[in-house]
Amino acid sequence: MIKFVDVQKTYPNGVQALKGVSLEIHDGEFVAIIGLSGAGKSTLLRSINKMIAITGGQLFLDDVEISSIKGKGLRMLRRSIGMIFQSFNLVKRMSVYNNVLTGRVAYNPTFKTVFGLFPKADKLLALESLDTMGILDKAFIRADQLSGGQQQRVALARALTQKPKLILADEPVASLDPITTVQVMDDFARINRDLGITIVANMHHVDLALKYATRIIGIKDGLVVFDGKSADINDEILVNIYGRSLKHDELLGE
Amino acid sequence: MAKFTLTNGKIIVKPFNKIWLVLGALIALVILFSYFIPLDLVNFKPDQLPIVLKKMFTPQRNRTWADYFEFIFSLQDLLVLTLQMCYGGTVLGSLLAIPLALLSSKNIVKTKFVYGPARFILNLFRTIPVTILAVLSISMVGSGVLAGIFAMMFFTFGIMAKMLYEVIETIDMNCYEALESTGANKLQSVRFAVLPQVFPVFIGYVMYIFEINVRSSAILSYVGVASLGNVIRENELIGYDRIGGAIIVIFVTSLIVQFLSSAIRRKLQ
Repeated sequence: MIKFVDVQKTYPNGVQALKGVSLEIHDGEFVAIIGLSGAGKSTLLRSINKMIAITGGQLFLDDVEISSIKGKGLRMLRRSIGMIFQSFNLVKRMSVYNNVLTGRVAYNPTFKTVFGLFPKADKLLALESLDTMGILDKAFIRADQLSGGQQQRVALARALTQKPKLILADEPVASLDPITTVQVMDDFARINRDLGITIVANMHHVDLALKYATRIIGIKDGLVVFDGKSADINDEILVNIYGRSLKHDELLGE
Repeated sequence: MAKFTLTNGKIIVKPFNKIWLVLGALIALVILFSYFIPLDLVNFKPDQLPIVLKKMFTPQRNRTWADYFEFIFSLQDLLVLTLQMCYGGTVLGSLLAIPLALLSSKNIVKTKFVYGPARFILNLFRTIPVTILAVLSISMVGSGVLAGIFAMMFFTFGIMAKMLYEVIETIDMNCYEALESTGANKLQSVRFAVLPQVFPVFIGYVMYIFEINVRSSAILSYVGVASLGNVIRENELIGYDRIGGAIIVIFVTSLIVQFLSSAIRRKLQ
C-alpha cells in the first residue's frame, strides 16, 4: 500500500510541483495519473521510489515512512519496485538478456555483479520474464536492434525480473505508435491481472487511461483534483483537470 | 539584418547573424599575427628539404644499401625496448585513468567538491611534459625500461582521464537512471550503464595513445631513457642515414598500430 500524507515537493529553483497531495493506493490496483504536462504527474510518480525526494509531508510504503530511508535501505526499497520510462531506458549496446538481468543486480553483491556474475536462478528468472513478455527469441540480440514496442517489453521484462510488488510507469506509451501502444497497455493489464502487481502509470492519452486503469487520479497544479473510478469520469471532470476541453493529441482516438 | 515582406503583408526580420562577428575576429587575428610574429624569411631555405631527405633515406659515407637495411634490422632490440615501455605505460596509465575519469564526470558524481579536485589532479598531470615526467621517474627508479614505463604511464594517465571523462559526460544517462531505479548502487550502475557505452571508445583511445607514445618515446632518449630515440641522439650531426633508418622503424611501427587499432575499433562497433 502506498500512502501520501500532505506530500509536498519544491524544487531548488523554487518550482512547487506538489502542493499537498494525500491519497492511498492499495495493492493490486491499476492507477492512471492524468493531467497537463507540468502538473506534477512525474514528480508524484518518482517520489514513490524516491527517485525524487519529497520536501514536505509523509509518504508510506507498506506503513514504512520513506523520507528518512537512504543508502542500502533505499536500494532495498527500489529493488522491489519496477520502473518503466517513456524512452525505455535500456542499455542500448547490451543484449536484451543482459538488460533484463540488470533487474537482479541489486539482489547480488557488488563484487560479483561488477564481473558480470549472476546466480543460475537469476539467469533463469531473466529468461522467464522475457518469455512472459513473449520476446524470448530476442534474448541474445542487442537492445537497439528492436522496435520501440519490443524495447518497452524488454523494459517490462527487466521490471518483472526484479520480482516487484509494484510497477511505476512514467508515460510508458508516449513514444510508441497507436498499435504498439495498445499491445503494451494490454501487457500492463495482463501483468496487473495475472501477477497481481500494482501498477501506477502516468498517462498522456486520456482515453487509454480510462480504458485500462481501474482508478484515475487527476492532478492539476500540484494538487489532486479528481480521485475515483474510471467509470465515474465525465467531460465536466476532465475540463476541471485540464482546465479546458481535451485536445486532439490527448486522445489516442480509436 | 534583412527585412522580408510577405505577399500577404506580414513582415519578418531576419536577426543579425553572429557568424560575421566571429569571422571579423578571425581576420583581425590573422592581421595581428603577421604583425606580431617575427617571420625571418632570410633563413627560409626550402631547397634544403630534399637534400636532407636524400641524406636520410639513402646510404651515406661509403655505406651500401645492404648496410642501410642491416642497420634497420639491428634496431629490433631497441624497438622491443620501446614497445615494452609504451605498452606497459599505456596499459597501466589507462587503467589508472578510469577511476579518476569517473570522479571527474559531472553526470556521475554531481558534487563539485569531488569533480573539482579530480579535474585539478588530471590537469596537473597534463601540464607536465613527458620529458619532465621521465626525469622525475629516473630519479625514482633509475634509468632503464621501468623509468620509461613510469613516464609513459603518467603521461597516458593525464590525457586518458581527460578524454575519458569528456566521453562519459556525453553518454545516455537514461539507462543509468533505470539502473538506479532497480536499486543498483553507484558502482553497479556504472558497470552496467556507463561501461557498455564507454568501452569501445576507451579501447580506441588506448590504441590511439599507444600510437602517440610510440612516436613520443623517441624524445625520451634525450633525458636518458633508452628507446629508438637513441639512434637519433647518437647520430645528430653525422649519420643522417642512421636517423632515417630509425624514422622508418618508428613510421612502420605506428602504421601497424594504427591499422590494428582501426581494425579493433571496427570489430567493437
